[in-house]
Amino acid sequence: MSRIADGVTRPAPITVEIDGAMVPAHPGETLAAVMIAAGAYRMRDDRSGAPRGLLCNMGTCSECFVWIAMDGAWRRRRACLTLVSEGLCIATQEGQP
Amino acid sequence: MTHEVLIIGGGLLGCAAAWHLARAGLAPRLIEARGINAGASGQNAGSLHFQIERRFLEPGASGQGADIVRLNRLAIEEWAGLEEQLSRPLDIHMHGGLMLAESEADLALLASKVARENELGLPTQLLSGAEARDLVPRLAPHVCGAAWLAREGHANPRILADAFAHAARASGAVIETDSRLLDLHRDGHGWQATIEQAGQISTARARHVILATGHWTARIAARMGLNIPLYLAPLMMSVTDRTAPFLPYLIQHVGKRLSMKQTDDGNMVIGGGWASAPQRMADGMPDLDAPPHLVPDNLRANLAVAASVLPCLRGRSLIRSWTGMTCISADQLPVVGQVPAAPGLYIAAGGSMFTLGPLLARMLARSIIERAMPEEIALFSAARFAHLNAFVVPS
Repeated sequence: MSRIADGVTRPAPITVEIDGAMVPAHPGETLAAVMIAAGAYRMRDDRSGAPRGLLCNMGTCSECFVWIAMDGAWRRRRACLTLVSEGLCIATQEGQP
Repeated sequence: MTHEVLIIGGGLLGCAAAWHLARAGLAPRLIEARGINAGASGQNAGSLHFQIERRFLEPGASGQGADIVRLNRLAIEEWAGLEEQLSRPLDIHMHGGLMLAESEADLALLASKVARENELGLPTQLLSGAEARDLVPRLAPHVCGAAWLAREGHANPRILADAFAHAARASGAVIETDSRLLDLHRDGHGWQATIEQAGQISTARARHVILATGHWTARIAARMGLNIPLYLAPLMMSVTDRTAPFLPYLIQHVGKRLSMKQTDDGNMVIGGGWASAPQRMADGMPDLDAPPHLVPDNLRANLAVAASVLPCLRGRSLIRSWTGMTCISADQLPVVGQVPAAPGLYIAAGGSMFTLGPLLARMLARSIIERAMPEEIALFSAARFAHLNAFVVPS
């Protein structure tokens, strides 16, 4: 999926890291939007190993939980409620940067 | 058509009672206004707590609170046999429970509690902080003692009522969802109910009616002119993300509101009786049909108590918090059985209804089948509040 370009002005791009890939993003976007734009639809796996991804986009369904590197540890956060920032590093599998 | 038993409410209690009555050949009919397990039976945190609860030890609590131990002992046996009786796995874990102490005052309270429980035949044991940490190494170093009961635990509140409903249907009970009670009144020697289902209004007659309606019970009774002293208890619960299994036990706290357990999937469920806030109707009365709102300060306080005794929780993330409503009786003990001012009308509500639900449903069914209140639950009889209906004119 791509961003609308015509008639839209965005802040200067920043870079976030998703499963080791450097992905462009704009301040003000949610992590979920950035992942969808980058084609990273598989946000977590359920206990059977099946892929799960963005569903409600409003913090209710918990299907978009990803791992975010924070203060030297991996923490679970909902991608749809997380705003991107420069240097944000996330993983869709625990412990894999 | 006249039913032998009409059950109002498809929660744990109603569905389990339906199963017992159906097996006895009474072919009960159960109506549920929403869906099976939609109320407190599916909203609670799933603790199987058989030690005397902290709420019974608070200043001002009724001295009768310890009497609940008699019920708890029976409830232990009830839970232990459920998977076999219902012939399916029910996520019931009875590996033990710890009620923690963090201070000298807590320890003194625990010691007197254990002594009282032992007198009443409940084999709790007082552990030192070190002994508690032998069981759960991640307990905080300042935890200075615990009361241990080997058969406490937890179960999955999402599946139990459904299992009872399934078994009840298989034994001949009729269970209807989206079927709402509009009116209930005496009719000769029985009861007549007006029921709305899918826009259709019908009436049904029944010899016995069970109000298995949780926090709605007092209001339904009030519409019939009956006073049942049950008061709203809107609560909140939370669950964290998954972590490797490390806690097979139920954790409670003798001095603070806390319950904690780890699910099969590894999630930590945290609760303990922290209040949520009911939504209000136009006249200011609580809206019994709407989910209560979270109270952020109470959520923070609940999590702080949990992380204080189990510091590793600070590394976890909350997935979800939710609310639910139950009710508590005037003396905190369950109110069970026939309402003296309304022969043929049975209730069961008012405290610990997940832990005690399967047992009380069996007892309620027995009181209808045997036409007498089982001796085991005489202490919890609705008759102890009969004075509240002294001025009710039978309708």
